[in-house]
Amino acid sequence: MKHFSLASDAIDLARLHASLQHPGSGGFCAFEGWVRNSNEGRAVNGLEYEAYAELALAEGERVVEEAIARYGVNAAHCMHRTGNLAIGDLAVWIGVSSAHRDEAFRACRYIIDEIKHRLPIWKKEHYIDGDTAWVACAHTYREHEHEHKHGHDHAHEPAAAFVPDYSRQTRLREVGEVGQAKLAAACVLVIGAGGLGCPVLTYLAGAGVGTLGIVDGDRLDASNLHRQTLYDARDIGEPKVDLAARRIAALNPTVTVRTYADPLHAGNIVDVFEQYDLVVECTDDLGSRYLSNDATILTGTPLILASVYQYEGQLQVVTAKPGDPCLRCLWPQEPAAGVAGSCIESGVLGPVPGVLGSMQAIEALKLLLDLPRQADHALLLINLLDGTSQRLPIDAAQGCILHDGCIEAARRGLATAQATHDVDIVFGDLDAAIAAGYTLVDLREAKEIAAQPLHAPSQWIPSALIGERATELVKGPMLLICASGRRSGVAARMLRGQGMLNIHSLAGGMAALATPHDRFVG
Amino acid sequence: MTTVTLQYYAQLREQARISGEQVSTSAASLRDLYEELRVRHGFSLSSDALKVAVNAQFSDWNRTLRDGDTIVFIPPVAGG
Repeated sequence: MKHFSLASDAIDLARLHASLQHPGSGGFCAFEGWVRNSNEGRAVNGLEYEAYAELALAEGERVVEEAIARYGVNAAHCMHRTGNLAIGDLAVWIGVSSAHRDEAFRACRYIIDEIKHRLPIWKKEHYIDGDTAWVACAHTYREHEHEHKHGHDHAHEPAAAFVPDYSRQTRLREVGEVGQAKLAAACVLVIGAGGLGCPVLTYLAGAGVGTLGIVDGDRLDASNLHRQTLYDARDIGEPKVDLAARRIAALNPTVTVRTYADPLHAGNIVDVFEQYDLVVECTDDLGSRYLSNDATILTGTPLILASVYQYEGQLQVVTAKPGDPCLRCLWPQEPAAGVAGSCIESGVLGPVPGVLGSMQAIEALKLLLDLPRQADHALLLINLLDGTSQRLPIDAAQGCILHDGCIEAARRGLATAQATHDVDIVFGDLDAAIAAGYTLVDLREAKEIAAQPLHAPSQWIPSALIGERATELVKGPMLLICASGRRSGVAARMLRGQGMLNIHSLAGGMAALATPHDRFVG
Repeated sequence: MTTVTLQYYAQLREQARISGEQVSTSAASLRDLYEELRVRHGFSLSSDALKVAVNAQFSDWNRTLRDGDTIVFIPPVAGG
């Protein structure tokens, strides 16, 4: 259950109360805010609450989470009413359950004070004389700002603007203020916020890297917690990108965080990589590693690869400079699914990705700061059971260059990935496709078009001629259309194979669209 | 017969149930040696999916064995 809710009607308090039951709780404290019959001397006969719901929900959630963390209580919830309320109606309900009463009282107080102060909720009072007025909620007294000591043994000062202190690293001769400025200007993309990603994100945020992008499509699972140190037990079920972003904001509020809640794919990875100075690959997926390697080679963005297996790890830095080796120089083809062991199947000891992720963070900082690095390129193998490591120099002359070179291998790899990614897309009508930015290309014969016109602006190239007339196609996303989706599907795959990565096919063709008749009636 | 030292990583270590061993072999090349070991330990990976290094340098699979070589077979791993 969420910690904060808005309700447009009276709600069942017994259910809210029950939701805060906790076996470890010895005390429960509730606060209720009611509508009273006067304000500042004027008789009131009702009021109306209006909320900027999206923001109120996000901020309310934060307030209650802060209270839980600050006072160490077991459970808490706050409900705020919206809409029209009469005298005596419940406007706000807050409940907190905790081991001891003192934290429950304090958390309750904290929540109501912060809610009143921070939430975008406005109150319109209806006066007996028929007049109304929007009432600002100002000058809230916040009890916790006057706390000097509370229930548990650490004191919290009121939040002041945070000023980062990087003195411990700027003291290093090779870093200094110049290096710190480089970090502040840097944009680093971290793909995967798991066992490897947690230390990478922690150290890069702590070091003051200006912008961190985080890619992760997963939600936190209890089985992640033994190795993914950014997260708490109460975060289970939440999207990792959101959790990681919040954690970084708490660790170093000066860092700008961009989140990508879906895995990158062949269609967008090059565009995303171009926005970053450096990429750290921290997924548990070989497909993602090859995709990242190919995008790195094509964009010239350096990539730091690591992976772990049980008690071992591998580390490779791909500089993406011409002549330097890449992942495909070692293993040219992505192994078939299931060949490479994963944490799920093979198990892993928590600190193993911790060690390898920390090493990725070191390599990232070395690149960003231009610190002295090993001159050659190597695959580093680390065995944490017997404490050995091996640094195997990679000879680029024995890699991709024996075939067509890294760039050609990367192009082919990306084209293969692209050829299988979202070629066929579904649209209910063509207006939606145009609104989504697609240029329509009609591949049908003249006779078919006469029988069933598109009723939308489009380019016409009969499917038999698409190969030779491909150069006429515009840049930008294109949607190929035929009667059934068959010809357009074949053509789209053929064009993608030629490197035109922005081509799609209308799934099911014209037959799958709602007919104009359907669309305009009713 | 050639005597060489072998080190196993990741899946290979798990399947062999040892992280290394010393073997005497009549295998002529690294590829022949791996095929011999594959039968003995039941390795699931073919040599195409692996890199091999000899005396801390990546090597060609056709390289002949010499007494005292330290040979490492390296599979790609995916965990994170």
